[in-house]
Amino acid sequence: MEPTESVIATKITEPITPVAASSARVVVEELLIEEISIDGMCGVY
Amino acid sequence: MSVTLDTACELDPRVSLRAETFGALAYHYGNRKLVFLKHPDVVAVVRDLSRHPTLADTLIAVGVHPDRWPSFVAAVDSLHSSEIVRVR
Repeated sequence: MEPTESVIATKITEPITPVAASSARVVVEELLIEEISIDGMCGVY
Repeated sequence: MSVTLDTACELDPRVSLRAETFGALAYHYGNRKLVFLKHPDVVAVVRDLSRHPTLADTLIAVGVHPDRWPSFVAAVDSLHSSEIVRVR
């Protein structure tokens, strides 16, 4: 038996408003530093 | 006091930087804080801070793109809080 594929076409009735590039921009902050605590490591070395 | 683009900073003389593959390790001999500098650009900025009038001038000199400046300001401000960097 051959697999069947159904395609449902949806008509878009609402107007599509393009999003301005500036408002869609996402600023991702780089992780440039990471501080670690070495307190409590006495006896490890 | 928060570090801004107009702040004049320098690496605290009690801090030692050790080069690593990911960037560098900064160790403060006074407060024993250890900070990973996780990108070569932030290492270059920290090393060059004392050679330029402001943080913005350092970022320009190192060639950091302005889109990345907020991250660098936040990073240097955090390093200031940890006393790795001091205001001059």
